Amino acid sequence: MNKINYHSPAASLAPDMKIFELIDAYPVLLSVFSRLGITLPFGDISVEQMCRRDGHSPELFLLLCRMHIDTSFRPRPSELREDMLLSVVGYLRATHRYYTDYMLPHAGEHLDEILSYCDELSRSMLTKFYSDYVSYIREHLEEEEQTIFASVESAAAGERLNLASLEVPHSDIDDRTNDIASLIIKCLPEAAPTQLRCAMLSHIYALRDDLRRHYNVEVALLRPLIAQTINTSKQ
Amino acid sequence: MKRYRIAIIEPASVIGEGIASMLAASGEVEVLFCCRSIAEAKGYTRSHDEVEILFVAATLAPQLSGISLFDNVPMVAIQSTLVDNETLRRFAATVSIFSTTEELLRTLHETLDRAAEPSYSESHELSEREKDVLILVARGHTNKEIASELNISPHTVISHRKNIVHKTGIRSVAGLTVYAVLNKLITNEQL
Repeated sequence: MNKINYHSPAASLAPDMKIFELIDAYPVLLSVFSRLGITLPFGDISVEQMCRRDGHSPELFLLLCRMHIDTSFRPRPSELREDMLLSVVGYLRATHRYYTDYMLPHAGEHLDEILSYCDELSRSMLTKFYSDYVSYIREHLEEEEQTIFASVESAAAGERLNLASLEVPHSDIDDRTNDIASLIIKCLPEAAPTQLRCAMLSHIYALRDDLRRHYNVEVALLRPLIAQTINTSKQ
Repeated sequence: MKRYRIAIIEPASVIGEGIASMLAASGEVEVLFCCRSIAEAKGYTRSHDEVEILFVAATLAPQLSGISLFDNVPMVAIQSTLVDNETLRRFAATVSIFSTTEELLRTLHETLDRAAEPSYSESHELSEREKDVLILVARGHTNKEIASELNISPHTVISHRKNIVHKTGIRSVAGLTVYAVLNKLITNEQL
């Protein structure tokens, strides 16, 4: 059995690790499985066996796992292969759906429940603030899908990939997510039960952390892959 | 151009007036008052809110303890005699009687820049001035407008805004607006 080095998590993952070992050590990786469309049960197979079975690159799967465990992890250029590009876009699209279809509505339900204990003013202000936040994230995700993702997918169908159209402006999603957490911690009246507030906060912090991982995948994996693909096509 | 508003407390008039005239001649500084003692400075009550940086004789340090004359105003020590390091550590910076105009101005800029950095050891309660700034931020005013409204420099507005962000944990204007309303600093109608 492979020993997992908890002091260097990103470096310790290997293709011959059993899936059970991987999930047992890093339950947070379950979302990587679901975003790649990999379903339970896994029996006693290894990472490599699972990837071959489901048509995924073990190298890419492990890169995504490393980036998920450690948001500061950056793949080396030698680890990047152009044939990973379309899979990365698929993974990012699935991540978008996870935010829009699950995380954001679920946090909204928590908030509604909390706000039912609050006065009218708190209710209307926070409802609007959260609704604006959700709209902002949705717009940002849609813009990425319509520009970057669509261009990559068109390139896979034979069109030319152009980096100039692939730059998405820096957004302040992280700041806005933190703002929601700060408002819940500092401003909600005591009438809202602590348990509900804690559940909402856990959800918001989970969303924030996931958005950071997502951003890291875009910056440190997707963009270098696009640049590499463009360079190759020029040659 | 907006001028930095300073005050000077220095028992030796020739030193205090000398620094005042050197800084005033630069055109960057407005000397709100130059006096010889803490007691005398207390008389300039109308100016206290406007002072952005206070030059004060290092020898007066013992008398400054416990005085809330100039809340949150950075103090620069004027050193004219030998003063121990412990005393000088109570000041944001030090100038000497041999400082040139350029050195005085450099110290002034550096001190204001440092003051604009959030301080992590202070209370998380907003000061009255920070509440004033927050209300104007919530009402959609720019830094320049806030500076003009409160009669302080844009530098000081930025410093207050950094402190507000640090203390509230909220960065966006929309979030700060919600914070101001929920904490009853402003009503929904006043927005």
